[in-house]
Amino acid sequence: MLSGPGGHETAPRILIVDDDPNLLVLLADQLRSDGYEIQTARDGDEALRRLRSSWPDLLIIDMMMPRMDGLSLAREIKGRADLPIIVLSAIDAGDSKADLLDEVAEDYVTKPYHYPELRARINRVLRRLGDKVPRQSLVLGTNLTLDLHRREATVGSETVQLTPTESRLLYALAANLGQTVATDTLLARGWAETEDADPSYVWVTMRRLRQKVEVDPNRPVHLQTVRGVGYRLVMAGPDSGRSDTAPPTND
Amino acid sequence: MTEQERDHQGWPTPESDLIAATEPPAHDASADARLGLAAREALAREAAEREAAAREALFGDGWTDDLDRGPDRGRDAGRGGGLTLALSFRTRLTIALVAASIIPLAGFGILLLILDPAAGQGATLGRILLFILVVAAISGILLAYLLAADLTAPLRAIAAAVDRASAGDLSTPIVVPGEDELARLADSHNRLAADLERRNRELGRILQAIQSGSPHDSQDFIAGRAANDARTAFGMIDAYVLLVDPSDIAEEERIPGESLPIRAVLRAGTEDLGVLVGHLPATRLWERADQDLLELYASEVAVAIRNAQLFARVESQNSQLLELDAAKDDFLRGVSHNLQTPLTSIRAYADQLGRDRPDRRLGIIGEQTDRLSRMVRQLLTVTRLESGALHPRSEVVALAHPVRRAWEALAVSDVPLTVDDQSAGWLAVADVDQLDQVLWALLDNALKYGDRTPITVEIAPDPTQNRLRLTISDAGPGVAEGDRGRLFRRFERGAERSADDGSGLGLYVSRELCRAMDGDLVLEPHLAGRGAAFSVYLPGEPPEDV
Repeated sequence: MLSGPGGHETAPRILIVDDDPNLLVLLADQLRSDGYEIQTARDGDEALRRLRSSWPDLLIIDMMMPRMDGLSLAREIKGRADLPIIVLSAIDAGDSKADLLDEVAEDYVTKPYHYPELRARINRVLRRLGDKVPRQSLVLGTNLTLDLHRREATVGSETVQLTPTESRLLYALAANLGQTVATDTLLARGWAETEDADPSYVWVTMRRLRQKVEVDPNRPVHLQTVRGVGYRLVMAGPDSGRSDTAPPTND
Repeated sequence: MTEQERDHQGWPTPESDLIAATEPPAHDASADARLGLAAREALAREAAEREAAAREALFGDGWTDDLDRGPDRGRDAGRGGGLTLALSFRTRLTIALVAASIIPLAGFGILLLILDPAAGQGATLGRILLFILVVAAISGILLAYLLAADLTAPLRAIAAAVDRASAGDLSTPIVVPGEDELARLADSHNRLAADLERRNRELGRILQAIQSGSPHDSQDFIAGRAANDARTAFGMIDAYVLLVDPSDIAEEERIPGESLPIRAVLRAGTEDLGVLVGHLPATRLWERADQDLLELYASEVAVAIRNAQLFARVESQNSQLLELDAAKDDFLRGVSHNLQTPLTSIRAYADQLGRDRPDRRLGIIGEQTDRLSRMVRQLLTVTRLESGALHPRSEVVALAHPVRRAWEALAVSDVPLTVDDQSAGWLAVADVDQLDQVLWALLDNALKYGDRTPITVEIAPDPTQNRLRLTISDAGPGVAEGDRGRLFRRFERGAERSADDGSGLGLYVSRELCRAMDGDLVLEPHLAGRGAAFSVYLPGEPPEDV
């Protein structure tokens, strides 16, 4: 799955928007040779024109472009349709705009990109298409509300910040609300581009998540462990204490 | 009762004699008092009851306390208070002293007169004399005691009121009937208490006004509110706070019968910020203490205004800094973009060419591009460090993986790397991107300064502190003693290290990045057989089984 656009009957269509023609041609070449169908645009206006005739499965947008920058373009596109976007930029993590990206883009890759990593991220974003969580608050109970598009959770009256991986895992769990999601599935969702991640990444991240989103992490109400299988996210209702089928573990 | 005991009670007999001799009318008064005693008894009891009730209502617990301390004295005082309502303090004191001295003597004299005819019955006479002397003395002391109790009751009431006043209760006045000295004393106490209470009230309003201020208020708003508060607190007709040089505002003359002008300079430290002026009703007394209070208030207002000025200045500086910061971010983003975009192309084309036609030279182009691109990032990170704008996105990661990845990125074939992973499943909590920068810089350092000796990376958990240690060491010459202290400073390299490569930023940036991730980077002490050794400490999480 990581090596190509598998899982699709037709080749996924990607629109690349970048003002650097060298990069545009090169990246298009690289992706085409891996079986993607590629369209290119040199700036925001051209990209919006292309979107009028057809919608791609994914957009790769450069952050720094003349006239309309990548952030504005991404906002413009998200305002019309919820197309997945990967931002490609030379932006570094300390940049104040890094956080803004989370609001409009599914992911971002820094320049100079490492092609295998970029490809892994493209595939992860494409795979996630089927289980998108709406961009609105998800109220799981009186003590937990998730705003995953903002990478925030409201626990009681406090707002806690979630890391990108944590919100990706919660996306996956929220999309299957009440159902158990296997540890391996979560691993693939959370660490698609990290080939060497193992299940302990999921275990430890879940434990840390519980510290963040549960009022009493030792008696989890929402984020339950299903021993030997995986995890599930549940609404806190009158029967939230029911634990005979899958006792929440104190780990 | 012996002579000694009487002395002990504090009734100096010789002085009583003196008073008795020099003030004969007092004798009459004493006689009047005694004559009217029976008639007054009923009146007195009634008055005592009334007063006791009033006292109970007024003094409440305070009086009960007194009763607890000495129930008899309390009751006596209650009765005594009503006994001689119309007499002045001085008269009563005189009566008391005269009574104490005259009655025994008079009694003794009368006895002598009565018993004179019977002189001769020596032994019996002596006994009767002694008996009568004792009776006279006792009745004298009793009368003196009753009168003293009568005298001390108002004094005690005043003392209790002063105690209450000093404890903060100014609202309860002392009730001492009549026009005598004690009543006047009580009056002046009541007036003092009322004055104090009024100033306290003013002070309270002032404090309230001062506390309700916020540093976000503008100085004009504070001045306006201060004028308003001053008006209410001091009962002024009008009040203005003028933020001008106080000498520009001429002092108003005071015209009797017209409203009373007052003013106080708004002084913060040595700086005069303005002046508070206003008028009081003509009837209002304005004393030194009132002026002091007004000046205190003015100086508090001045401090608040100065704070508001400073706050406004800091605010505007802050917003300027934020603008500058945003401009700097824009600039850095531009620099980064303009440098990284061509590097991205070079790197990608070299890779693509290398895939088609493998060539070692293309590999070198790729690696050097990578190095250049990392140095650009390092420079950007330094600039960000200065504004404290690092936002690590900490995720869990097994440290061995990023170590191998960073090593692969360095593409070194002639130096062996050993990764001794004893983490036992412990995962570090770190920003993968920042960690990559740190590991790359440390490995690059070990390569450069380790004389291409084998490099060892040891990973071990420290369960007691919930953290992981990652030590990168070489077998080279190590760090010179003189360099150890300054190695982590900006733009510093070891003195014996060549200046031809590296920015001198690697260790500084790495340490700051580690600290931003709640970890640290330290230089390990010298060990025989080991070259330079640097340890990265990061928060760690124990493994967990399902």
